[in-house]
Amino acid sequence: MSAQAVIVEFAVGEQPAQVSLAEAEAIATAAETWGIAAIRLLDRAGDLPALDPSVVAAHLAGRHPGIGWLVDAPTTHNAPYNLARRIASINRATAAGAGVTLLAGLGDEVSDAVTDRDATDAAQRWFEYAEILTRLWDSFPAAALLGDQQRAVVVDDALIRPIDFTGRYYRVAGPLDGPVHERPVLVAAQSSGVGWAGVAAVADAVIVDIAELGPRTTQLLDTLSSRGGRDDVAVLARVTEAGAVGDDPDADGYVLAPAGGATEILRAIEALEVTPSVRNLRAALGLPVSGRVSA
Amino acid sequence: MSARLHLNVNILNAGVFGGSWRLPGTDPLASYGVEHYTAIAEKAEAAALDAVFLADGPVLDPSIRHRPGNSLEPTTVLARVAARTERIGLIGTLSSSYNDPTEIARRLGDLDYVSGGRFGWNVVTTAGPHAARNFGRVDEPDHALRYRRASAFVEQVVSQWAGREHLRSPQGRPVVVQAGGSTDGKRLAARVAEVVFSAEQDIDKARAFRREIRDTAASFGRDPGEVVVLPGLSTVLGSTEAEARQRRELLDELLPDAYARQRLSGQLGFSVDELPDDEPIPAHLLAHPDQAGGSQTFYRVVRDIIDRENPTVRQLLKRLSGGGGHRIVVGTPEQVADDVERWFLAGAADGFNVMPDVLPSGFDDFVDHLVPELRRRGLFRTEYEGTTLRSHLGLGLPDARSTVGESLVSAR
Repeated sequence: MSAQAVIVEFAVGEQPAQVSLAEAEAIATAAETWGIAAIRLLDRAGDLPALDPSVVAAHLAGRHPGIGWLVDAPTTHNAPYNLARRIASINRATAAGAGVTLLAGLGDEVSDAVTDRDATDAAQRWFEYAEILTRLWDSFPAAALLGDQQRAVVVDDALIRPIDFTGRYYRVAGPLDGPVHERPVLVAAQSSGVGWAGVAAVADAVIVDIAELGPRTTQLLDTLSSRGGRDDVAVLARVTEAGAVGDDPDADGYVLAPAGGATEILRAIEALEVTPSVRNLRAALGLPVSGRVSA
Repeated sequence: MSARLHLNVNILNAGVFGGSWRLPGTDPLASYGVEHYTAIAEKAEAAALDAVFLADGPVLDPSIRHRPGNSLEPTTVLARVAARTERIGLIGTLSSSYNDPTEIARRLGDLDYVSGGRFGWNVVTTAGPHAARNFGRVDEPDHALRYRRASAFVEQVVSQWAGREHLRSPQGRPVVVQAGGSTDGKRLAARVAEVVFSAEQDIDKARAFRREIRDTAASFGRDPGEVVVLPGLSTVLGSTEAEARQRRELLDELLPDAYARQRLSGQLGFSVDELPDDEPIPAHLLAHPDQAGGSQTFYRVVRDIIDRENPTVRQLLKRLSGGGGHRIVVGTPEQVADDVERWFLAGAADGFNVMPDVLPSGFDDFVDHLVPELRRRGLFRTEYEGTTLRSHLGLGLPDARSTVGESLVSAR
């Protein structure tokens, strides 16, 4: 893995534990200046819902092209096809700057009506959901776009394949409605109750509290690489102070979540060393890239 | 009727015609990039239009091989447009069939907040087996069930917006837009819609449609003045009439034939591939509009053209030009302004959902030449008077209907 990327985390809203939209703008400006890789937008702070992270990410990305956006989204209330589209749309609008932190939860009103009501294992649901997202994102490759005006062919539809996913929690045919140049980053927070092997099999990155790293880092990394059969999972250490960034040589990056409000977040960002920004979020996290998108 | 027209631009990817993306000078794949939408929205705001409008369905359109489709999710596009503009309204289409009401109420309410009170939700029911299969279903829900669900769904969402204590936007809650022309659709529109997007070819029918919607709204206890009816209008402009006609003919030539047939077959509910091109469509194949599956609105539009003109298959394909059935006007800015003025003054429309022939060039012509002409006639605003979509549309904030006893049906 390459240089250690920093992601800054907060929730946007009107509650005390959230930053306002105007403050979020100021943080995004500072984040661009300091070469922050991405902003992670939380779905809620404490018990209170924040502004919808997909809306905030898409909005702020319109004014701050220099950083990536990590959208927190629970399985609860979100049919996977709808979430896959939103993340893919933000990803295209930001030239491969988007990812989702998929949170384990319950189902949604649309999917629940036609699937097994006795299926209640949040971990199993998360795993199915994550697989659907990644497969949908692979179902419409950018290479299919032709735009051949002479031959009257918009896309080479032979390259676009349905996913025909049939699981216990979801059935999704696909394909996605639009092309994906670079797959959005799929992140697990902690083990999402899913277990490291499950996470490693499908996620691109995992966010772990730094307290859980340290002596246990090696064990965690071993689990990620061997049991999941993948060694291209980025480990993101979650820290609450800027001073802790850089503390763990095994981390591929840091999620900086300062306690407090916008003032503390800005102070934490300004305490970091300025690094050159990398727009492609996969590249910033040291993940394999397709090279089809210029950052 | 309001004294001024309302105008939205429907950013229908490359333009409303099936051949739009092939017009020389047009970037065929521009609509796959988000800047296509933000640039048109910026231009629309400079012209003080009421709103930009995005159509959508949670599905890859099966006709993708021959025509660019919608490929960006509307709330993400409009959230971005909100960051690049200050005043223009933002109307997005989201399905009542395939969204969770709790999630969509939050997301759309939040988009309204983030945009400073500029959002409108075009609530649709989603037809077709392809979309159904993205949500665990085998085929589209029955038409009546789709609308029964939509009615309870909208009321649930509006009630959640009305109950918000935090994150309320300056316009109170999003504007509800609805676009169904079927019997079920009109009833839903009259109950819940604040803007009705219709598909009308004929001025007398359009006037009757508008009167029916307003009367039915009144029978539900609503103020008919709080319903804005905007028929779709496809525009083909030229500096002379001959130039406009040439452009229209060129678009016909560029229409991919396979696409036109596929689209018409979809609208009629049977394949036209085996029918002779030079004969009319056999009457026995045509179902009653209320019995048609898929989109009854567009079935009805095509059916009306067949009943009125009895065209051959070839003539019908050319007449629709892959545009699906919204009214097409071709001419100079003065001629098109005459048409717009006639419809407006006759009470057939409160304004129009404008679908330029080709994007962005057809919209550039619309803004640069037609909008000034409408202003000269006193028909369109020269600048915004407010900052919210409700303000642009002249809509207040009516009480939200109680949803006690409404239960949401879900197709299986």
